[in-house]
Amino acid sequence: MPVIEAAALRKCYGRDLALHGLDLAVERGAAFGLIGLNGAGKTTFIKLLLSVVRPTSGTVRVLGGSPEEPAVRARIGYLPERLHLPDALKPAQFLSSVARLKGLDAEPSSLSRALERVGLIGDAHRRIGGFSKGMRQRLGLAAALLGSPDLLVLDEPTDGVDPLGRAAIRAILTEERARGATLFLNSHLLSETERVCDRIGILAGGKLLREGTLAELCGEANAWIARFAEPVPEDALLRIGWTRGLSPGTFRCHAADADALSVLLDRARAGGARLVELRPDARTLEEVLSDVVGDA
Amino acid sequence: MRPVFVIAGDLLREAAARRWFLGLFAGITLVVLVFGFALRMDVVDGALAATRLFGRPMHTDIRTAESVMSSVFLALAYLVFYGGLAFGVVACADFAPELLAPGRIEHLLSLPVRRWQLLLGTYLGVLGLAVVGSLYGSGAFTLLLSVKSGVWTARPIVAGLLAAATFGAVYAAMLAAAVFVRSAALSAAVGAVIVIFGIIAGEREDLAPLFEEGVSRAAFLAATAPAPRISQLASHAADFAASRPVALAVMLKALVGLGMFAGGCVVVGMWKFERKDF
Repeated sequence: MPVIEAAALRKCYGRDLALHGLDLAVERGAAFGLIGLNGAGKTTFIKLLLSVVRPTSGTVRVLGGSPEEPAVRARIGYLPERLHLPDALKPAQFLSSVARLKGLDAEPSSLSRALERVGLIGDAHRRIGGFSKGMRQRLGLAAALLGSPDLLVLDEPTDGVDPLGRAAIRAILTEERARGATLFLNSHLLSETERVCDRIGILAGGKLLREGTLAELCGEANAWIARFAEPVPEDALLRIGWTRGLSPGTFRCHAADADALSVLLDRARAGGARLVELRPDARTLEEVLSDVVGDA
Repeated sequence: MRPVFVIAGDLLREAAARRWFLGLFAGITLVVLVFGFALRMDVVDGALAATRLFGRPMHTDIRTAESVMSSVFLALAYLVFYGGLAFGVVACADFAPELLAPGRIEHLLSLPVRRWQLLLGTYLGVLGLAVVGSLYGSGAFTLLLSVKSGVWTARPIVAGLLAAATFGAVYAAMLAAAVFVRSAALSAAVGAVIVIFGIIAGEREDLAPLFEEGVSRAAFLAATAPAPRISQLASHAADFAASRPVALAVMLKALVGLGMFAGGCVVVGMWKFERKDF
């Protein structure tokens, strides 16, 4: 059963149409990334998942129920895009409040573990008002993770976080997936989305224009680009199945699996070619987004 | 109901760290301590024989301590009532707009809490704050004056609670206004207007003859009808604190009206909150 099911979902703010009949299903255990330009409707969709806004028409079901139900929302961990935290509180006080509102025990030891997990245990004595944007984001993530939710909805989770912090957040998200949680990620950082998500949806003008695995969206999974050292035995390479690549000195091949790729490389080396670089021949998510939005 | 009390408790915890409330409690404590050391009352056979403030004698006629303290408690009750309302309107104006701030309200609504619980918790939290503030303010001064004069009474504390209840009605209107338009300034303005309107409404029977009989008087009476009778309640609170006779039926009527006004405002706020997109 899908964790998220949206059918013909529309949302209007006055005369502005934010979502235009969106259909989407996200399976249990998946890591789904929603990408799109500003104003595409990503945050509106997330708010609909949490009943922060109500649909104009269509239906949305989360974890098999309506997000209007507190029991459903109790199984969701949410990190908003711009989390506004009470400045006067200390991090453990904030987490304690969230835990109690989630119906969990707010034991100091479990709150300390939550802070330690996001790297904030050293700042537990400080008031939130003195926290940087990245620290606030990590505290928000700690709050979202309380109670081991079945679904994590994260809106720009690494926004304002330093590179090491991003890596730490990625590690946490990997652990959550291993635990069985479903991830729903909205991020402007396409590289983050590529690294974390196994399925991606592209939203533009309130419509889901493309949805699929990274390989499905970004190109052929079995195409490879190789760069060889000069002098390149061009004729020999072309004879054994390589074709010229777009940039000078690069050659392209198709290999169904690792064995086929090894055979092609062995033949190239036997023909006198010396391999310098090998990479999959796929478009970046940025290129795909640009194409899809441009076509739309 | 548990989430309601969690939200109310969090609001109290947040308020405890705010400068406004720290200043209020520090101010009350300081004034009580200063008067505690500086005020001396000599009571002989139930009569106030001499009073010294900062070592200087205060020339007053010899009167019974009870009659002197009655006037003092009357003034104290008015001070707590109107001072508390003014302080509350200013200091509590941004609680609801803070709750509804982008990035915070989405997070709160994503938790397993119903919307009405969120609003009711905020309301009860502010009401609790008003009760604690009035108990501390009126309680500390009453204790000080009772110790000094030997006239023991809890009436000014009850009068303080009446002030807190009145603020509850004013804050209900402020909360409802904040749900419609998230603005601390507007919330404070609504509070101030309700207080002024409530003062007028409390004297509406006396003021009505100032309006020409007919449409203008009827309009005045209609406009002031739903407003809480704030000045009337202030007088009742002061009379009660001063151990003067109180028209209980009139006070109860004013309290029922206060409750209806507060309930109506909270219901309107909830109605809007339930339908609002954030």
